[in-house]
Amino acid sequence: MNEATGWLFDLYLHPERGIVLWFITDEGVRLRLRMDFNMTFFAAGDFSRLRAAWVFLRERAQLARVRRRDLFLGERDLLSITVDSTSNLFRELQTTFPNLDYYDADIPISLRFIACTGVNLLGRCRLSYNGEWLLTIEPLSSPWAVQHDPLPLRIMRLSLDVDPAFREPNQIKVQSERGAYLLNLNPRRALIISLQADIQCLDPDLILTSHGDDWLIPNLMAWSAETGLRLDLNRDRTLEVQTKKANSYFTYGQIVYRRAQSHLFGRWHIDRKNAMLFSEYELQGLLEQSRVTGVGVQEMARKSPGVGITALQMVTALRNEVMIPFTKQQAEKTKTLVNLIRADKGGLIYQPIIGVHPDVAQIDFASMYPSIIVKHNISPETLGVVNAPMGLIPLALQPLLEKRLAIKDLLRQMNERDCQYKEMKERSAALKWLLVVCFGYLGYKNARFGRIESHEAVTAISRELILQAKEVAENMGFTVLHMYVDSLFVQREGTRERMDFEPLLEAIYRQTKIPIALDGIYRWVCFLPSKRDKRIPVPNRYFGVFQSGEVKYRGIAARRRDTPYWVKKIQLQVLECLAQAKTLTEVSSYIPDAHAILAQAKRDLRNAQIAPEDLVVTQSLSREVERYKTPSPVARAAGQLQAVGRSVSPGQFIRFVYIRGKERVRAWELGLDPRMVDIKRYIELLERACEEILDCFPIKVQQPEYPSSWLM
Amino acid sequence: MGRTVTTITQYLNETEAMLAAFRRSLRRSDQYIFDGIFASARKHITAISQSDALLPFETVLLAVLLEQAKDLTALQHELEQLRRE
Repeated sequence: MNEATGWLFDLYLHPERGIVLWFITDEGVRLRLRMDFNMTFFAAGDFSRLRAAWVFLRERAQLARVRRRDLFLGERDLLSITVDSTSNLFRELQTTFPNLDYYDADIPISLRFIACTGVNLLGRCRLSYNGEWLLTIEPLSSPWAVQHDPLPLRIMRLSLDVDPAFREPNQIKVQSERGAYLLNLNPRRALIISLQADIQCLDPDLILTSHGDDWLIPNLMAWSAETGLRLDLNRDRTLEVQTKKANSYFTYGQIVYRRAQSHLFGRWHIDRKNAMLFSEYELQGLLEQSRVTGVGVQEMARKSPGVGITALQMVTALRNEVMIPFTKQQAEKTKTLVNLIRADKGGLIYQPIIGVHPDVAQIDFASMYPSIIVKHNISPETLGVVNAPMGLIPLALQPLLEKRLAIKDLLRQMNERDCQYKEMKERSAALKWLLVVCFGYLGYKNARFGRIESHEAVTAISRELILQAKEVAENMGFTVLHMYVDSLFVQREGTRERMDFEPLLEAIYRQTKIPIALDGIYRWVCFLPSKRDKRIPVPNRYFGVFQSGEVKYRGIAARRRDTPYWVKKIQLQVLECLAQAKTLTEVSSYIPDAHAILAQAKRDLRNAQIAPEDLVVTQSLSREVERYKTPSPVARAAGQLQAVGRSVSPGQFIRFVYIRGKERVRAWELGLDPRMVDIKRYIELLERACEEILDCFPIKVQQPEYPSSWLM
Repeated sequence: MGRTVTTITQYLNETEAMLAAFRRSLRRSDQYIFDGIFASARKHITAISQSDALLPFETVLLAVLLEQAKDLTALQHELEQLRRE
């Protein structure tokens, strides 16, 4: 028997029996072990049917009669069915007895393992084993600790010399701790031999690619088969690389395109270009999400944070012996019309006072919705129950919320040059995303523990709290310029230092019991009116300059995904130019400079000084090309791609450039003669973007909303 | 997202669309003022929505009245100041 300590790296089902686990030991060994692992699921329903199911299963599984809690229906009598984790018995049972209610039937294996052993993914553990079989395992760390022993990962980066959407790549750049070099994609034999040698030599834990999912990995496998040469992308040589096909699906009112995926065993593959939110929180953030939710790293990288939240709820349910329904049975309860009107609302979004305002503070409730869920014990089963014990959702959320707040506190005290700062920042962002989606999942119709009433309760409380905050601020003599779900913009003459706002923050906290913090103080901030009518305020179009000189902007061209890079860049330059003014009154002296930037940009465009890639517009295709009645620019570009035999699917992002002539646009992948660029169109786009900013100046003398004498 | 009840923003848009023929028959100069009435209602979308009214139009009118009263009071205030000078 051997013993070791180390990190749990990965786990998955063995093709025949039990599970396979990978560990990185303290000695640096990558250890593959097997373990027999049983899973239990439950069936409930009519007694005669259960009896028939029992007869059906008698010889094939361990059966027992138990009582467990259904979150919505309370205690139920159940048939518990225990089988090996690789068994397909559930599917068979479900087909034979479709009318039974099933529980705990489709829980990912990693979550079962975590709930059963207390060892979390990427967590420290002590283990004993004999040959390839794991005997015992115990946890040595908690996923909720703020500091972790860093996982010693060996990373191999593979990037292509060009985007394969444009043309056939010629080289791969291979980077690892041993250096970087270029590898020719031709001849294939040399490529495969060389890559195989590298993989064997370095034995990477993570292969980080760009375009790996749908181009590089599938091609490497094909070339390896073609040449008959071995290429061990998997560390587990008993398994093949797992590929998943691309598809389009419809969610939240829009169509989304999901690219193909290539998953490895015993090693991770992450495609930077196919990793959700990877640019938001990088690798450390992704590892953090995996660590706290129990979802495998490769899957977490490619899926939305909602998958993480569901996993977290499942583990909490398993640990607390709450059963997880296989299909959700609860429909929305009936409401009276009056109650529907009262409840069916979102967060409170105010109409700001249009125009430019000096010395404005923005204050934000920290993680408002999750805080409400935990503080007010909002969970599908606790609604309307007086003195209910802590519900499942707050139970799952509380450690996550506490960890995020602890990391945020730590970041506030940390020096930005601290070597841990970047990692902490990424982990904080990753946790934030989990918290952001957890609220939505309360109301999501497919969420296992969702119930629309709990969703409504959270927004109702949030509206009440922000109105309380408004009243507190007004009582202290502040004007509330704007409110947006969890943040307020306040202003008071003569108040412009951080410490002057402290009493306000304290008073709001005393009233609402939800922590609130100063996001920053603007030298000036401008709330823009509607494009349609300058008298109508719109909630989320503004820009401003903080005292630090940093600019913040929402809803203007620079924030829009379909604005070409060049237009974004110039709009921001104009804004940065005005941001040099130390006070609002000084802004007017920078206006001529801003106009000069605009004029120079136009000259550059006319003189063909702008790289065509900076003019590329990216838009998503909302339906099949044939289904556009009047072809929009994006549909035209997609049509051009189709005409040359490229496949385009709804939800896919299409890049194009506006050109002169009948075609009007040109798909970027098809190449472009720079002389064809539609200069007039781009100048129009640029002017419109810069006007968004410059039209606010010079500042017209504004009628104050309330003369100070009215505030009596 | 996933809302059942019409929001006040939608309600105002629909009401405005319903009155399109009325608006069209007004003189251009009156149309501008008419649009201003809707603009002043839109300044209070949140408040109208918070009132949970079954028929929001009354509350919309109140919001319009509020903006008018505000303008009036500001003008009175200014007039008084001018008189004092």
